[in-house]
This record gives sequence, structure tokens and C-alpha cells, in this order.
Amino acid sequence: MKEYFARYTSAAPLAVMRIVLGGLLFVGVIRFWANGWIKELYILPKFHFTFYGFEFVRPLSEGTYVLFAVCGCAALMVALGLYYRMAIIVLFLSFTYIELIDKSTYLNHYYFISMICLMMIFLPAHGYFSIDAYRNRRLQYNLIPSWTIDVLRLFVAMVYVYAGLAKFNSDWLLHAQPLRIWLPSRNDMFLIGPLFSKLWVAYAFSWIGFLYDLTVPLWLFYRPTRWWAFGAVLVFHLMTALLFPIGMFPYVMIGTSLIFFPASAHENILTWMKQLLTRLIPSADSTPSTDKSYVPSFGVQRLAFSFFLIFFTFQIATPWRYLLYPDELFWTEEGYRFSWRVMLMEKAGFAEFTVRDSTGYYEIINNDDYLTPLQQKMMSAQPDMVLQYAHFLRDHYRAMGMSCPEVFVDSYVALNGRLGRPMIDPRINLANVEESFAHKSWVLPLNDEIRGL
Amino acid sequence: MSLLRSRSNKFIFFLVLLTGCGGGGSDPEPVVDPLDRVPMLTNWVDNIIIPSYDNFNAKLEAMNTRGDAFMATPTLTTLTDFRSAWIEAYAEWQRVELFEFGPGDRNTIRNFFNIYPADEAGISQNFSDPNANLALPVAYSRQGFPALDYLINGLAATDEEILSLYTSDTDAPKRLAYLKRLTDRMKSILSTVISEWKGSYRNTFISQTGLDIGSSTSNVVNSYVLNYERFIRSGKIGIPSGAMTSSGGVKHPEKVEAYYKRDLSLTLAKAAHQASIDFFNGKYASSATEGPSLKSYLNALDAKDAASGTALAQIINGQFTTVNSKFALLGENLYDQVTNNNQPMIDTYNELQKAVRMLKVDMTSAMSITITYTDNDGD
Repeated sequence: MKEYFARYTSAAPLAVMRIVLGGLLFVGVIRFWANGWIKELYILPKFHFTFYGFEFVRPLSEGTYVLFAVCGCAALMVALGLYYRMAIIVLFLSFTYIELIDKSTYLNHYYFISMICLMMIFLPAHGYFSIDAYRNRRLQYNLIPSWTIDVLRLFVAMVYVYAGLAKFNSDWLLHAQPLRIWLPSRNDMFLIGPLFSKLWVAYAFSWIGFLYDLTVPLWLFYRPTRWWAFGAVLVFHLMTALLFPIGMFPYVMIGTSLIFFPASAHENILTWMKQLLTRLIPSADSTPSTDKSYVPSFGVQRLAFSFFLIFFTFQIATPWRYLLYPDELFWTEEGYRFSWRVMLMEKAGFAEFTVRDSTGYYEIINNDDYLTPLQQKMMSAQPDMVLQYAHFLRDHYRAMGMSCPEVFVDSYVALNGRLGRPMIDPRINLANVEESFAHKSWVLPLNDEIRGL
Repeated sequence: MSLLRSRSNKFIFFLVLLTGCGGGGSDPEPVVDPLDRVPMLTNWVDNIIIPSYDNFNAKLEAMNTRGDAFMATPTLTTLTDFRSAWIEAYAEWQRVELFEFGPGDRNTIRNFFNIYPADEAGISQNFSDPNANLALPVAYSRQGFPALDYLINGLAATDEEILSLYTSDTDAPKRLAYLKRLTDRMKSILSTVISEWKGSYRNTFISQTGLDIGSSTSNVVNSYVLNYERFIRSGKIGIPSGAMTSSGGVKHPEKVEAYYKRDLSLTLAKAAHQASIDFFNGKYASSATEGPSLKSYLNALDAKDAASGTALAQIINGQFTTVNSKFALLGENLYDQVTNNNQPMIDTYNELQKAVRMLKVDMTSAMSITITYTDNDGD
């Protein structure tokens, strides 16, 4: 054990990771801005679905642009290795803040990026091929402890395996759901489109996806299969990029899977970049002439060790928390988020709210008055968001002068090809229901079992 | 079971590949993919949308001819003729109101044809302002069928009094001019919509075969469900009956469609509902033939209730039938129905609500279409 922690390796993989992460996030912020999503998702909505316990995270109205600008700058500085420690902390905080503003924009890969940023705060990624090292020769090193790369490998592998385990259920494997719903919608694609109308293709994709997620870290670890596995990573993620509207996710996963390659591959990438760079700026080459190791102080090392111990305990345990809840996970979504459950559900809902007061007045709410189409789509199929919105309506009507508003919902949700059914008990006055981590007894049962994990 | 089927499908696929590669000898049967959306889009545009607009156009022209006759010589006879042509055109409108996508959406034709209740004060105000801007949102309820309803049925209590407002009254010329302006405007907007459909948009419509936001099928389904939810369920039944909002049991019979010709309100609601049923089933505008449709697409997807094995399309059609059976219990005059015996209205609303859920959730989810509509006119 002691031996393992004393082992050193090339600093190149961490440098590549830093460049890839910062670069992708920089592009991601620009893409987000250019698509007008900052305004659409964070400025225009009148109401935001905050995360339980993070209610203090509010959008900053026009200041949200500043937040994104800060995030983009930090990403660029991380990529360049400029004031790295500060930049990565700012990147983690600003990116995470943005993601915490509204649940309806939650994506597993945003969470993934947040967590990678968090880990990178504790990793020595800036002493090699960075502006910091170029400006300050004392900072330079080309050897780092092996474990600083292995923690990233472990995390990426863990994400894949959990994503694979999440597919181990009867809907995915035995009924090819939801791919049998999603694939035919792309049957007008050039050349391969007609295949997506075939049921066997949905089954094939389901099983391949399951086996891929579950085992690809293994093939990436194992040298003889590594290039094949990376080929599979490319094909798999480019395919999903082609088929589904999932934005930057495929590129993030392709980029992070580079971490499994040996240092020599990363050296090659950096050499290639260096050549490109010295052609632009002749004096840019600043490789240390002799080997130099990164030696953290005892305090720093202890801090990093403690952090990773807590981090991995949390990460390994979190996806299993759903076991603490009765009823069907896909239906109640208690313990669903932050667990690498990706693309598992075609879930659509209808939620029509009625606000009543004690005088006999009642009104059916037009959700368009308060929520964006995206928020409505997310809210109507997720019980915790139904409750949040009901509380918003209660507070809104109370502020308008209604005494003791009561809020009821007529909800109807379809999950993975099942016919829709009411999700929330229509007789429950949601104005009086408190949100908590306890089981939501006011969610009606699915009355069907999805077997598996 | 399904695994077995998929395996045999796979086998067939390899056979097709082999024969395809083996090449040449026999003419392969053209395999029609029931999930190909091109035939469905083509059926919609060629057999339903454009012919329905043509049918409506004929009725609207007939109405305008009678209208012109009335405006030339306002008599009880010409008024009666105008009214009956207005009724026919209004009923035919119900068969195109659901096409609020493509040219219909671009010209927001519903806003100019059927936003009710009519704004009486606004209409009176417009009499004296021949240049009033009718394109503004505030003017929606001062034109179209509801405004005509007010002008030919609702200006006064008796036919004689109405006639006198178009003949002896000092403002008669202004009223006649406003009538003319409204009927001309309807004709011109409809002509624009029809010529756009018959122009390049027809092919554009068929070529946008995706299901993502902005594609033809997605636009059609969104508009179809919106029409059913907001303009049939809420507009025609929910709002007048007080099912949508009410204060201590107060109802809103004054918000029925065709308020000044109240015995028409049920006819219009039924016509609109039948148009939705026919569109779902892909029925041609001018015959009983059914082409590729939402029904056939859902059947090709094998969308069904897993427990009973009943096809989703059949369940939806069953719900449509239930709604019709509730319509059958309503009187022709929905104003009276709401005022005297509202429960059958509430019952109708509840069944419409069930159909909305099926269309908005079960159908769109099975088809992998996202509901994106946000406009809230008419609510």
C-alpha cells in the first residue's frame, strides 16, 4: 500500500485531462451562451426548481451572464494552466452553482463534470505543460504520484459501471424500453434510418449499451484491448450524439476516457501540441531538462487523502440510496438523481393544478403562466417537482390575498410504453405537504414491477 | 415472445441483405415501412388539410356572397340567407381550426376567425374607426365568426330592430362598412393560408420527416393536442360550465361559442370534436376513406395497454366515442344547458379531460414527440 502511494509516473495524463476539461467547458459555455439558453433557462423563468437543501441558490437575473462569463474564463484558465488552483476552484463553484439553479436542467453529465472539477482541485495538474509552470520554473515537475491519475480512472470507471448496472432491469433488457420508442423516431436518417424501425435493432442497442457501459472500463484498462475499446468509445458516443439531443456529453465522455491511456500516449498528444505551439510562439517550449517530481507537503497530502476517502465513499454509496425507499424507483424517482441513471426512461406527464380557497372559489392553473415548456415537461413527471410547484402556487396565491389556498393536482404519467396513470393522489392538498427525504406516501403506486437493479 | 420475434426479424433482415447483395435476378417487393412518416404527411396534406380548407373556402365564399347581397339590400330575406350561410361556414370552420401549424400558424388564422366571446364594446368602437388595426391582439375578439354573430344575430332583440340598425339608423352605413371589412378580411386571410399550402409549403411539409421540435409531425401533433385541450375541452365546454374556474358555484354561460345564436353552440362543439376524430383516423376530407394517420402510426408502433393487450389507438377511439355519448346528452343550446342543468356539461368536460390525457401523454410518449406549445390564447 505504502509502496503504491510512493509510485511516480509522468505528469502528462493530468495535463491532458486539464486541457480537455477546460477546453470542453469553455466551448460548452460559449455554446450555451450562443444558443440563448442563459436567458431562456435562467433569466426568463419566473420560478426555479431548486434542489432540496440548496434553496439559497438563486439565479442572478442579468448577473447570470457574469456568472457564465466567470465560468468560461475559469475554464479557459484551467485549460491554459493559468493561476490553476484558483481557476479550478472558481470553475467548480461557478459551474456547480449554475447547475444548482434549476432541477429541470439537471443532466447526469453536468454532475459528472462538477465532480471531475471537484477532484481536480486536489490534483497536481498544473506543473506540466501550463502557463503557471512556464512562468514559474520552481513549480515545474514532470513526475506525479500515480494515485493522482488512478483516482480519475477509478471515478470514470465507476460512472460507467453504475450506468451499466442501472440498465440491468426488465424494461431495458427484456422490453428494449425506452429505445424501442426513441429509435423509430430517427428512422428518417440517411442510409441507416430504416433500421431504426426494426424492433431487433432496439434490442441489439439495449444489450450492447448495457454490456458496453458495464465492461468498457475493463477493456480500456487492459492494454491489448485498449485501442479496440477506445474505438468502441468513439463509435458508441458519436452514435448517441447522432441519435439523441444530448449536447456535449459524448465529447466529455470521449475526452475523459483518454485517462485510461498510458503516459506515453499523453506525451505524444502534448508533443504534438507543443510543436503546434512552438510554431506559433517560438519560445514556448519549457520542458524541464531533468526529471522533477511533484512532492506535496504532508498537510496537502493528508487533505487530499481525506478528501478522496470521503468522496469515494459518498460516490459509491449514493446510487444505492434508492434501496431505502419502497415503491418503484422509476416511478417515484426517490434516489434517482446523482446515480448515473442515463437515458433509462421515456416518461411523459400531464399535471393540471387546481387552487381552491375556503369560500368556494377555485381555478384551474394554466402552467404556461408560470413555467417554461421545459420546466413543465420535467415537473409533470417528477413528484418532487410537482410538490415544489404546488408550493409556489400556494405562496403565489397567498401573496395575492387568498387566505389558506389549497392546491390539488390531476396528474397522469406514462412510463416506458405503459399506458398513463395518475401519479399523485388527487385528493391530497399539496399545500400542506412538506418536502423531505422521507418516502412520499402521496405518490400513487405504479402497479407494475420493473425487475432488476 | 417479443425476443423470438426480434430474432426472426433479424433473420429476415439478413435474408434481405443477402438477396440485395446477390443482386438483380428478381424484382424485390417494395417493402413499405408502416413507420415511414412520408405517406402519413402526404395523406394529411393532400387528402385532409388542403381539401378541408377548400371545403371551408367554398362555404366562406358562399357566406360572403350572401353577405354582399345583404349589404346591398338589407331585408329580412337577405339577412336570413346571410345567417344560414354564416352557420354553414362557421360549422365548416370547425373542420380546419385544428390546422394551426404551417401557414395556419404563420397567419395565426384562429386569432382572426374564432376568438370569443365577442368584444361588443370594441366592435361598436370600431364602427366609427374604419382604420382600426385589426391585427392587434386586442382586436381578435372584434372580428371573425364571433363578431359576425354579434352583428347579424345580437345587435338587438328582434330581427326588425336589427334590420333597422342597417337601414334607417344614422350609423347604418358604418355598420355595413364594418361587416364588409370583416368578411373581406376573412376571405383574404384564408386565401393567403390556402395559397401558401398549395405553394411551396406542401413539399416543405412532407420533407420535414423528423419528430424533433419544429418537424412537421411534431408541429401537427402539438397543434392537434393544443386544439383539443384548449379550444374544445376548455373553450367550448370547460369555461362556460365553470369547470375551469368558478367562484362559489358561479358559471359562465355567457362564454359559450355562438353566444348570439345559442342553439348553434352544441353543433359547433360536435363538429370540432368530429374533426379531431376524423383527423386522428386519417379520414379523407371528402370521403370515408382512411389513409395513413396517427391511428395507423400508433398501431405500427404497437402502442398498447400491456395488461389488456388493447391497442392505444383503439382506447383513444373508445374515449372519443364516450365523449360523443356525453355530447348526445346535451341540448343544442349550451347556454341553457349550463344555466338549467350543468351536470351533463361537467360530465362531458370530465370525459374530454380523459381524452386530453391520452392524447397529450400516451400518444405523444409512444410517438416520442415533445409537447412544446406555450401560447395561451383563448384561455
